[in-house]
Amino acid sequence: MIQWLLLVTLFCKSTQDGNGQENGVFHCGPPNLTLNKSVQTILLAWEDDPSCSAVHDVLIYELVVLIADKQVHYDEVAVTHEQIGSPHSWNWTSHLALECASHTVRLSSRYENRTSPWKQEQTLPGKENLSRPEVYPRDRVLKVGSTVTFCCVLPAGEIFDKMYLPGYNSTIMNTTKINNRTYALTVRLNQPSRDSCTDVKCKASIQHVKTTENGACAFIGYLPGDKDLQCETSDLESVECHWTVERSPHLLSKKTEYQLLGSPCEDGSRGRCLKKVQEDAGERNWTLTVKNKLGKVELSDRADLTKRVHMLAPEGVKASTVNARNVTLEWSWKVQRYTNLNLTCQVNVSHGGTNTMSENIGLGLSFAVLTDLIPNWTYNVTVRCGTTQNFWKWSDWSIGFNFNTKGDVPDALDVWMQVKDNQIIIIWKMPLANQSHGHILDYEVTWAKTKATVANSKHHLALSLDTTEDYIVAVTARNINGSSSPSTITTPPFNPNKTGVNNLQINRKNGSFSLSWSASPAASCGYIVDWCPTSGHCSLEWLKVPPHEHNANIFSKNLKDGLRYSLSLYACTQGAPVLLERGEGYVSEERIKDGLFVPLKWKQQDSDVEVSWNPVSLTEQTAFIQGYILYCTDKDNDNKIVCNVSTDNPEAITLRASHLKIGSYEFTVKARTAVGECGTTSLTATLNSQTDNLIKAVIISLVTVFSLLSLITVVCLKHWACIKEMVYPPIPKPLLTDKWLTSPGEHSCHPLRVDQCQHSEVANMDIPELHCKSGGPVNDYVSPENIPFVFAQTPKGYYNQPLQKCTPPPLILATPTVPSQSGLPSSPIRGLFPNPSYNLMMQAGDQWSNPGPELQEGTCLERNSSGYQPQSRTENFTLNQTEQDPECYILLPQ
Amino acid sequence: MADRRTRSMAGSDLSRTTAARATAIAEQLHHECSILLELYRKKENFSADVTVADGRLVSVPPPSSQLDTRDKLWRLHSALLQCRSLLERAIAKEEEDLGGGKKGDYETQRKMVKERLSLLLINTGELLKAVDGTAVLTPNLEGLELDGPTHLFELKLWVYRIFKEVDYWTKTAITTLQSLPSVNARERARTTRVRSTRSAR
Repeated sequence: MIQWLLLVTLFCKSTQDGNGQENGVFHCGPPNLTLNKSVQTILLAWEDDPSCSAVHDVLIYELVVLIADKQVHYDEVAVTHEQIGSPHSWNWTSHLALECASHTVRLSSRYENRTSPWKQEQTLPGKENLSRPEVYPRDRVLKVGSTVTFCCVLPAGEIFDKMYLPGYNSTIMNTTKINNRTYALTVRLNQPSRDSCTDVKCKASIQHVKTTENGACAFIGYLPGDKDLQCETSDLESVECHWTVERSPHLLSKKTEYQLLGSPCEDGSRGRCLKKVQEDAGERNWTLTVKNKLGKVELSDRADLTKRVHMLAPEGVKASTVNARNVTLEWSWKVQRYTNLNLTCQVNVSHGGTNTMSENIGLGLSFAVLTDLIPNWTYNVTVRCGTTQNFWKWSDWSIGFNFNTKGDVPDALDVWMQVKDNQIIIIWKMPLANQSHGHILDYEVTWAKTKATVANSKHHLALSLDTTEDYIVAVTARNINGSSSPSTITTPPFNPNKTGVNNLQINRKNGSFSLSWSASPAASCGYIVDWCPTSGHCSLEWLKVPPHEHNANIFSKNLKDGLRYSLSLYACTQGAPVLLERGEGYVSEERIKDGLFVPLKWKQQDSDVEVSWNPVSLTEQTAFIQGYILYCTDKDNDNKIVCNVSTDNPEAITLRASHLKIGSYEFTVKARTAVGECGTTSLTATLNSQTDNLIKAVIISLVTVFSLLSLITVVCLKHWACIKEMVYPPIPKPLLTDKWLTSPGEHSCHPLRVDQCQHSEVANMDIPELHCKSGGPVNDYVSPENIPFVFAQTPKGYYNQPLQKCTPPPLILATPTVPSQSGLPSSPIRGLFPNPSYNLMMQAGDQWSNPGPELQEGTCLERNSSGYQPQSRTENFTLNQTEQDPECYILLPQ
Repeated sequence: MADRRTRSMAGSDLSRTTAARATAIAEQLHHECSILLELYRKKENFSADVTVADGRLVSVPPPSSQLDTRDKLWRLHSALLQCRSLLERAIAKEEEDLGGGKKGDYETQRKMVKERLSLLLINTGELLKAVDGTAVLTPNLEGLELDGPTHLFELKLWVYRIFKEVDYWTKTAITTLQSLPSVNARERARTTRVRSTRSAR
């Protein structure tokens, strides 16, 4: 028994001594090992074996992690002598979700290079007994830019196909096999989730027949990106901080927390936070903490709130006093503390698209006076304020306030005049709404103690004045508030002579005229430029220019392109305006329409052709014509241009093309302008030989002469007997008495005493003349009462004068001023024959050209009964004549 | 007697008209469901292989040729009511857990399907009332799993499954409602039988 006790004692002794000492074997180890997990982290806890208390130095625990039986991690935990006996823990985060595969941790101890033979091992099993593929980790919040490993755990019997993230490029993903049932996908997350979470999917198949798919979802986002914190106060009792919120995926931003100075901000996701603060004049840091699932950021702003006053907008802006040209505004403050601050307020006055700003300064400012307002006008005002000292920001604009100023008399009119047809038209511009200050009732025009009222719809008045004198004309406008101050203009004496007026230099600029001129000493009160279209209706417009300016730009909605305007420059003087310069111009020259030259005519002269046209009217000139150009195109020669004639004379109306050959041509006339050749008008003409024309003329002349001779012969043959009897009468010597004229027999021939005839040498021929005359009306100039008229010429013209003597009717003598109707040379045979066609008298002879024939005894009588002839004086003489009995007068050779 | 005949004829006409209208609504709903499913598949990048759990979400008695018109209608009405509850829950979960706020084609179509389903329910309720003559009993929704899964991807699959459930019951509604003419004939026959019985008395 004693022997056994000794043996046990020895064994125990040897065991105690052998703690790491004997034979290099160390027996201290962890008897109680506990393995837990948190998300993807392994939590290991253990205690020292009581035998470890003998250790006097550092004890090392060795930890080995195996995933699916493969070592993936090794670690050591050093325990000092003091720590021995207390619980130990260790944790490690796996790159794989713990559900993906079994995670085993082996723990052993080492002391002075002697390893404990004890080894503790604990395993966290992966997912098993699945019915479909499953992907892990699930529902994680991950940071953009991080690299993450997902795994797909397959049910038994399924074959892995692929793992993927929709929308991700497969080149940045790497799939590895963990074991037969587990595959891992490592991917660098380079894009945030958008509207929802990002899917990670796994596809597998059952015996290559049925495909199954499942997945997990992860929110991929950023750390809070909020920035630009700025704190201020609006009521001097609270701090209001603003910052820029960086948008994150929906759930991430929803779960972002904001804290200002440690207390939560309800409106944090909107980028503002309001906190009551104690009155504190000092400068301090205002810190905002922003935290989401991925981390947190701190924003800080150092400020003294008394220097960061962002005032609230003024309230209740109204007008306390409203006059025609000034208004007093008032407003109130929501924060009473503002009344103690020195404030600067801006008043924005707007009307009809115009804005003006005025600034006012004062302690607790709550009013402003607006001046220089337009009477009878609607305004809108808004007010904003800021602190004058330590200005930080303007407040918001107040709510707009509208008011109407009171009415006033109209402004003075802008008056001008136009001289037209010896009349002076006084014209004035219709006052604009901001000039009339109320409805215009009428206008009053006063000149030379005369007053005229003009209706409000008219803006001119034509005055018939003595054009040799000056008049001062005054014009006023009247509204319900009274009359405007008069605008006067002195009318100049009429002077049609406008020579000696300089040319006005006119330039065109963007649809307007740009004028410049030399300074005139006469222009004591400035210049006036007026303009209106050169042709057509002249609606005069004008512009008044101050004396120190010598140029003007004329803009008017009435200015039209392609229309020529006449512009005049006047000097404004104390008296009547003085015309200085004149000019014409176009705002923009336009091409003249084709067919300008109407009618376009041509005339051939030998081998030349003269093309002519009517002068071009101004209305058709949409550009200045600098000249004309004529093109000749040979129609027989492939439309080749064979001539090109031009002139620089804008007044020209002909152009001549020379040396053209016989053939067909097209002649085209164009006007040369600054915008090119335009107004194209063409005609086609065929040129004939001039020889052909000569032959035609000769043949026509010969036929005409032959026909005339034949006619004369026939007539002579018909009256041969009479002619013979009269030419060779049986009477030996004709005897003329005074009664011969008074007793002629019907159908008788009346011999005259030719020796008393006072004919010219040419007219005195040996061949007697026969005058046959019917007894009908002498001519058409017979009154309805058969009272013949005598045409008498008076100093002021001609008039019809009834004859006093009825029987016998007078003959009318034509004045000798009428030239010969025929224009043919005098025939040696002169006779008077009845006209077979018209039953009128036909007469050949140069006697018509003899001036002042007078009827005397033995004087040759010649009459023209075919129409009216002016007469120098009337002559009465008696002839017995009836309709039935034509009379024949024979003028015998002297 | 005359009053009764008039009322029964009027009721018959009414149910015929309501059945026709309900059929038309169901057909329209079926079309809209197809579009919704397509939009959802596109939104979630779901292929045809995506694994959706088997089995119906809606719990109703099994179909049988022994069921009379009233029972068939009641079964349909009950299923559609469950569908609407599931759909409303799905929409709420989507908005809450998967991010809402966006107003795209999918969201518009989803709202349209929900409203059309409600309209169909009104019509099937009227039909039930016309056939049964009593107030429509609200089907019991107890046991209906409205919580949905906790994991996001499974939630997406659950939503998809609900849309498919609505689509399935819409098709069923079309079939059931199109079979109603025989119902009307039966109803007429029943009315005639009652009338004959009363005449015999």
